[in-house]
Amino acid sequence: MISRPLNRQTLIVQNKISDRDKLHEFLIEYVESHDIPGDTYNDLRLVIEEAFTNIINHAYTDNKSHTVTVELNNTESAIVITFTDTGIEFDPLTDCGELDEKADHGEGGMGMHIIKSLTDSQEYHRINQHNVFTVTKLYTKKNRTPE
Amino acid sequence: MSLKIAITPEKNNGKRISITGSLDSNTAPELQTRIDAEINGSVSTTIIDFRNLDFLSSAGLRVIFKTKKVMDNCNGKFLLVNLQPQIKKVFEIIKALDGMNVFKDQEEMDDYLTAMQNKVKEAE
Repeated sequence: MISRPLNRQTLIVQNKISDRDKLHEFLIEYVESHDIPGDTYNDLRLVIEEAFTNIINHAYTDNKSHTVTVELNNTESAIVITFTDTGIEFDPLTDCGELDEKADHGEGGMGMHIIKSLTDSQEYHRINQHNVFTVTKLYTKKNRTPE
Repeated sequence: MSLKIAITPEKNNGKRISITGSLDSNTAPELQTRIDAEINGSVSTTIIDFRNLDFLSSAGLRVIFKTKKVMDNCNGKFLLVNLQPQIKKVFEIIKALDGMNVFKDQEEMDDYLTAMQNKVKEAE
């Protein structure tokens, strides 16, 4: 399904943890303007936090500033978030490791496990030297009026 | 979003860590530093009070698990109380509540602590 362009909004941030607050504000404005319910917002906030942290921790091996693009899009029943960075090839679906419940939950895998649990599909592609990570979450719009 | 941390004494050489706001990749190091400075083998019970925490990520969870490990290693008690639904959900996703002492409120936790103290008295 092709989404209406009006629903698509993009924010470009730097690969620094403090820019996570900009992403949070971006998400709040988006959910408020698209009738996305509170419980879905809570889940998306956590998904964005985990995915952005993964990029910061894994995509760049230098200490330089790089851009990360986050795009939000939605249809009547699904929200799609796409993260694009220019870092080294990094597939979070395979490179984060599996959650090891016996290992004190100390390292790796936990963030990705949260993302997988809170979204309905996840895709990774390496396109023109960019990591493109896309997650989709199904939802029901709040205050829907009968058609 | 910021994190406020209050560490207060509890009965029998315990400590309560009350966290307010957001425990995430940005604020987790701050909590870790405070805990490293105050939680050690001389503390009998560590209580994490989530009443005013509205956001928790995997970075925050790691601090919680690390603190539990410290308490386990010195045979101390580690208790979680007042988890809000969105916070409890994060623990449930990673199936981390098994083996944790979790209480819905202060009253339930007090009952547990009283029962534990009575058990110790009976043994003496």
